[in-house]
Amino acid sequence: MEGRLANAWRLTVNDKNFIKTALLSEIRIDGRKPFEYRKISIKFGREDGSSEVQLGQTRVMGIVTAQLVQPYRDRPKEGMLSIFTEFSPMADPSFEPGRPGESAVELGRIINRGLRESRAVDTESLCILAGKFVWAIRIDIHILDNGGNLVDAANIAALAALLTFRRPECSLGGEDGQEVIVHPPEIREPLPLMVHHLPIAITFGFFSNESILLIDPTHNEEAVMSGRMTTTVNANGDICAIQKGGGEGIPQRVIMQCLQLATSKAASITKQIKDAVEAFNTERALRKIKRHPTSTGVDVREKQNQ
Amino acid sequence: MEIDREDGRSQNQLRPLACSRNILHRAHGSASWSQGDTKVLAAVYGPKAGTKKNENPEKACIEVIWKPKTGQIGKLEKEYEMILKRTLQSICILTVNPNTTTSVMIQVVNDDGALLPSAINAACMALVDAGIPMRHLAVSICCCVARSGLVILDPTKLEEQKMKAFAYLVFPNSVHSVLPEGSPSVQGEPIENGIITSVTHGTMSVDDYFYCLERGRAASTKLSDFLRRNLQQQSTNSSKAG
Repeated sequence: MEGRLANAWRLTVNDKNFIKTALLSEIRIDGRKPFEYRKISIKFGREDGSSEVQLGQTRVMGIVTAQLVQPYRDRPKEGMLSIFTEFSPMADPSFEPGRPGESAVELGRIINRGLRESRAVDTESLCILAGKFVWAIRIDIHILDNGGNLVDAANIAALAALLTFRRPECSLGGEDGQEVIVHPPEIREPLPLMVHHLPIAITFGFFSNESILLIDPTHNEEAVMSGRMTTTVNANGDICAIQKGGGEGIPQRVIMQCLQLATSKAASITKQIKDAVEAFNTERALRKIKRHPTSTGVDVREKQNQ
Repeated sequence: MEIDREDGRSQNQLRPLACSRNILHRAHGSASWSQGDTKVLAAVYGPKAGTKKNENPEKACIEVIWKPKTGQIGKLEKEYEMILKRTLQSICILTVNPNTTTSVMIQVVNDDGALLPSAINAACMALVDAGIPMRHLAVSICCCVARSGLVILDPTKLEEQKMKAFAYLVFPNSVHSVLPEGSPSVQGEPIENGIITSVTHGTMSVDDYFYCLERGRAASTKLSDFLRRNLQQQSTNSSKAG
């Protein structure tokens, strides 16, 4: 919008210098150490497959839905996994509604590569009838609040939503076994997705001074840093993806240092995600047992005519 | 006539309400509103300089962006945006900040019936959180008419689909007046009886509609009390200044 120059948020020169000088003494403006992650909180919605992740001030929501579709012709026995990222204008005044910008597309591609190409989600188990019906899993990522490091938060949200998603069970029927009957959740328990491993994205920030390296930048630090690298690793130590698009040139030993750091962080984040999912599953099982309504809403009486 | 509702509520009972403000850090104002399982998140940015091309620059302009939970933005979302925009334009004082745009973003977190009323309530609370000047608050309720002619309040999604017709109603909030002449009135009727917005789906008789209005008005008093308690509580806790 041409008239809305107030959208652009710029960090002042003083702020930038302050951040850079503090980093030379390994101090970050929010009090963290250079290789410390912000507090991660993972919450789930009422329905299966909806998660809300808060990484410090960054807030991301992940929704997973599934639909029966025809598979691609060259891959008749595989299901589909697609990721849609929405940089909602509520997260940052500079996000425009409408077509996703380049950072939204990049975020979607990083998560896509981490999940799909590393075979984290088993797509062959999504096939119901080869060549005719497969499940297409759609992950919607809504960025609600941009406090920096959207990639990591969005990745955790996607993983948490995938782990709690349940797809309806279906069986083959009909005269020649070519019809697919989808059973509603009340009749047959829906099934979880097969997730082999959890690829965790860890983002590093580089500055013009080679000795400064930090992990999980806030949006203030993102405005100051001169290069970034996102590594997607899993707790087993496998590298699923590395994304470094331009920016400051980095020597090889720094990259090796980053990868080793990423593996150790991935282990702790994986554990956090699994614990949160466990807690949700227990709560969901308990919810299924109690069937009486617990709503105690507000009672409204009719207005009597005076 | 009694009706059995699935979650055991009576026909006049609303679902549990929950509202929290100031939940997002970048947005100037934000609020999360949930009625039972329906949950909506609203964020407000503004006022920002400039208005869009077709808008009147002598007044403030309100822009609404509705984000569904999943899927593409279609005509339904555009309709909701338009209804929300017109409702909010009627409650905000538009002459205070001319030639500015206030953006309201709605994100649907879960839809279990009465989505538009929840969104209007959330948007209103977010505007309060952002400090946008308003004449009064808007309180929104959904009433539906069953095939038997009974009117029930605040339906869930299943109930909405089964009903003959339903109406989304928006009223101004109820006024606690300390003046001796009571609350301000328009043509003899107190201001809280006015209807800001009414959207109906399905067919209902005129009597049914007036019955809905009556029930909705009674419910809006309760909702106004809830809003008042919520705002008074939170205003003593946190301040966004500085």
